[in-house]
Amino acid sequence: MSNIITAEHITKRFSAHTALDDVSIEIPRGSVYGLLGPNGAGKTTLIRTINRITLPDSGRILFNDKPISQKDIFKIGYLPEERGLYRKMKVGEQALFLARLKGLSRHEALLRLKEWFVHFGIESWWDKKVEDLSKGMAQKVQFIVTVLHKPELLIFDEPFSGFDPINANLLKEEILRLKNEGATVIFSTHNMSSVEEICDHITLINKSKNILSGKVDDIRREHGGNIFSVQYKGDNKALMERLHGVCEVIENEESTTGFSSLKIHIARNEDIRSVVSLVNDSVNMRQFIETIPSMNDIFIRAVKE
Amino acid sequence: MRNIGLIIGREYRERVYKKSFIITTILMPLLMVLLGAAPTLIMEFVDGETKKIAVIDESGLVAPKLSSDEEIVFEISSKDLPDALVEASQTEECFGVLHIGKEIVENPNDARLYTTSSSSLMIEEYIADQIEKVIENERLKAYNIENIDEILEKVEASVHLATFRTDKEEESAATSAIASSIVGMLLGFLLYFILAIYGGMVMQSVIDEKSSRILEVMVSTVRPFEMLMGKILGIAAVAATQVLVWGVLIILFSAVIMPALMPANILDSVQQVQAGADVALLATQQDVSPEMLTAMASLLDTGHLAMIIGTVLLYLVGGFLLYASLYAAIGASVDQAQDAQQLTMVVTVPIIVAFVVTMMVMKDPNSPLVFWCSMIPFTSPIVMVARIPSGIPAWEIATSLILLYASFVVCVWGAAKIYKIGIFMHGAKPTLKDLWRWLKY
Repeated sequence: MSNIITAEHITKRFSAHTALDDVSIEIPRGSVYGLLGPNGAGKTTLIRTINRITLPDSGRILFNDKPISQKDIFKIGYLPEERGLYRKMKVGEQALFLARLKGLSRHEALLRLKEWFVHFGIESWWDKKVEDLSKGMAQKVQFIVTVLHKPELLIFDEPFSGFDPINANLLKEEILRLKNEGATVIFSTHNMSSVEEICDHITLINKSKNILSGKVDDIRREHGGNIFSVQYKGDNKALMERLHGVCEVIENEESTTGFSSLKIHIARNEDIRSVVSLVNDSVNMRQFIETIPSMNDIFIRAVKE
Repeated sequence: MRNIGLIIGREYRERVYKKSFIITTILMPLLMVLLGAAPTLIMEFVDGETKKIAVIDESGLVAPKLSSDEEIVFEISSKDLPDALVEASQTEECFGVLHIGKEIVENPNDARLYTTSSSSLMIEEYIADQIEKVIENERLKAYNIENIDEILEKVEASVHLATFRTDKEEESAATSAIASSIVGMLLGFLLYFILAIYGGMVMQSVIDEKSSRILEVMVSTVRPFEMLMGKILGIAAVAATQVLVWGVLIILFSAVIMPALMPANILDSVQQVQAGADVALLATQQDVSPEMLTAMASLLDTGHLAMIIGTVLLYLVGGFLLYASLYAAIGASVDQAQDAQQLTMVVTVPIIVAFVVTMMVMKDPNSPLVFWCSMIPFTSPIVMVARIPSGIPAWEIATSLILLYASFVVCVWGAAKIYKIGIFMHGAKPTLKDLWRWLKY
């Protein structure tokens, strides 16, 4: 599988700080690619660099293995985090204007717009002014404008922020549909559950650096080593004493009525059987299983490291 | 190019289809006409009220010779001053009492006006003039010259200066300094307003795009330079449309409406003046002032008007492009209009200087200061336009236009650089120093 975007050693400095420090990523064609990272990590700058809004100080961006140029812009659809439309314009007129800027003919743009408006059930908005729309409504219009010219590459910056759960679901479905139609989707987010559901690849950016990159499944397997959850009934204190120095306790939830639970990390050189017998000796054990960590856990651990 | 076209179209439609644009475009000329006619109209209303002045003339010389007009009516009164005053205060339409002393011819200061309401300079001068004339005549009569009345009538003269330009062959027709300086002032005003208002419009619209966050969507599709040019040209087209509509209205007015309203004999003389006849002679024949006649002649000369309007449009577009690019750069570098005040000083100061110099054009359209200000690009659109009606050599206009358009190119290049950086700057208010750094970036 070839890469649609290759970013090579991108560095971007602003007067006060470095936004991107030698960041390299490869985005495979046809993937849904998540850019994760805390606020201010440099996600938006990376996205702006990919679609040529800002130029990097050093490094380069390849689009389909060739340095990206202005004409490639028509093959990209971009939905910025800070969404905006001309407030005084009518919805239809504005969508038409933006679509034509993307290189569509007036006729073609009208046809596709009508189709999308019907698809979203918003035909009645055509002659409304943008300032009369709610934020969520305006976002739908912007989504349509972003995907209308059927770009090979779609970039969404924080697409789920500001959407209610129903519309967020709709958006997820649309993203998966676009992927099935052959588009590549990049999006940045802090919403980890959405990453698990729809991303195949991720890159984690923290403090201007790429700290983790790869397939979601691989990352989870790699980082999922040796975390176990334990359910039991019995003396929590005694158990903690026994476990001290043997393994690391990540979570400890004590319950007086039902089962208490633990989440522990066992070092690779430690024998799992001995830990199991240790627990079994001190309390009434009900369950001892390995857990695959959520992206959330990986995210938090990676950022802490 | 396609993108610039699309953007121009959007900017243009957004403004021209607005009700407020249509209304101002049509109402503005009407308002101008009304404003011009206002003094006359006001006079008309004031005229409706004639002021009666009772005259107590102890000398008996002045009162019979005071001539009343529509506004002031003199009535000779035989009462004593105190009685007349009482009567005056009781009668509503009586404006006051004029008391003239016995020895008025020897002592011209022995005249007093008592009024029931505040008087005006105009009335006082009007009365004083009349009394003066009577006294002068009386004093002349004292010399016992024969046929003194006839002689006095013949001596009276009033002078109007008809001016001719001799330095240019093609324009041997009379030019009227007053008419051309008034037209020049109006044009200067027009340019001043359009540069300030439409320039501000460009700035506001860039700020709006920035705060509504549409910019990022736009910039991911089109180059910032295309956005900047599209916006400036789009709004320039709006301004040009407005001025063209006004121009057409003015030409229509002068070609169709004015001739229809004007008395036939005057129209005839106006046409003769346009054909090169002697203004002074015609003026005397028709009993109108030659100033008036030449002004009429140039107002009714449609070709001349079209030439002026054409040149004005060239300056309007050039000046607008120059200023608009600066306004756009300022708009791009701030978040809100309030933050722009300090920066807009850089732009408003030259506009105001130009406006002040325009006042001096009235005095002398060819003084060195005026000449240089009509060459320097930042003031030339306003100052030169004010000079044009007085007749300016073609080379001066050509030079100043070339300078203007050349500096527009430089300014747009700089503005585009500032614009490109400014539109993604949020938060801190940039200073001139920051802008300079962005320019070199």
